[in-house]
Amino acid sequence: MPERPDVVQALEAGLRGTALRQALIANNIANLNTPGFRRNDSLFEKVLADAVEDGTLADLHENEAWVFTPGTTPPNAQGNDVDLDMEVGELVKNSALHKTYVRLLGRMYRKLDMAIREDVR
Amino acid sequence: MNVERVGSPIDIAVSGLKAQSARLNVIAANIANADARTESGEPYRRRDLVVRSTGALGGVAVARVGEDGTGKFKRVFLPGDARADKDGYVTLSNVELPVEMMHMLTATRAYQANAAVLKRFQDLTDATLELIR
Repeated sequence: MPERPDVVQALEAGLRGTALRQALIANNIANLNTPGFRRNDSLFEKVLADAVEDGTLADLHENEAWVFTPGTTPPNAQGNDVDLDMEVGELVKNSALHKTYVRLLGRMYRKLDMAIREDVR
Repeated sequence: MNVERVGSPIDIAVSGLKAQSARLNVIAANIANADARTESGEPYRRRDLVVRSTGALGGVAVARVGEDGTGKFKRVFLPGDARADKDGYVTLSNVELPVEMMHMLTATRAYQANAAVLKRFQDLTDATLELIR
């Protein structure tokens, strides 16, 4: 693990991850009644954690590669395994995570701003 | 690095939402089949959802959908009916509409309670996030 991981880079990757998951959940809900559709999720937490550990944060660019189909929930008669309640729960979790990243990024930039302006309030 | 997804109260509340909507499904099936017969010609027997706890902090899951064997079939004297036996009696399913309505009310309330837990946990998380605004 490097001495100081680039926090802004990590937060950026995190934000891209939550944005991707938001899109995936929206797609899952849109396909609630599509026969044969299996829900998709992203494994960006795992990818992000590995990248922080290996110091390869700068290479995190291929969002598409983070998408996977868990296939762990039982499909219904039409072969569809999307559950609305579950997607709503995932949505709530994801937006909390997204908000956390945004707030932390805001903090980072405010600190930079403070240093540039030289006026500590 | 080991990654654990946070937000277990949300998962628990979602398991409750799923269980209650499964219960509503069973109740809907009971009401829809109140007048129905099975393939063997027997009247429909009302079904009940059995849920089980998945560990101390694991929420709830559907264990099985069982048939209610206690309720007796109703026998009504309807001589002209196509379903009547040789004495003119029709055997009807053991679905009682008022009972189903009562179960529907409790299932709806339980669903709402789980949704309230979800909402409240979301508010709590937001309150925590206010600290790093």
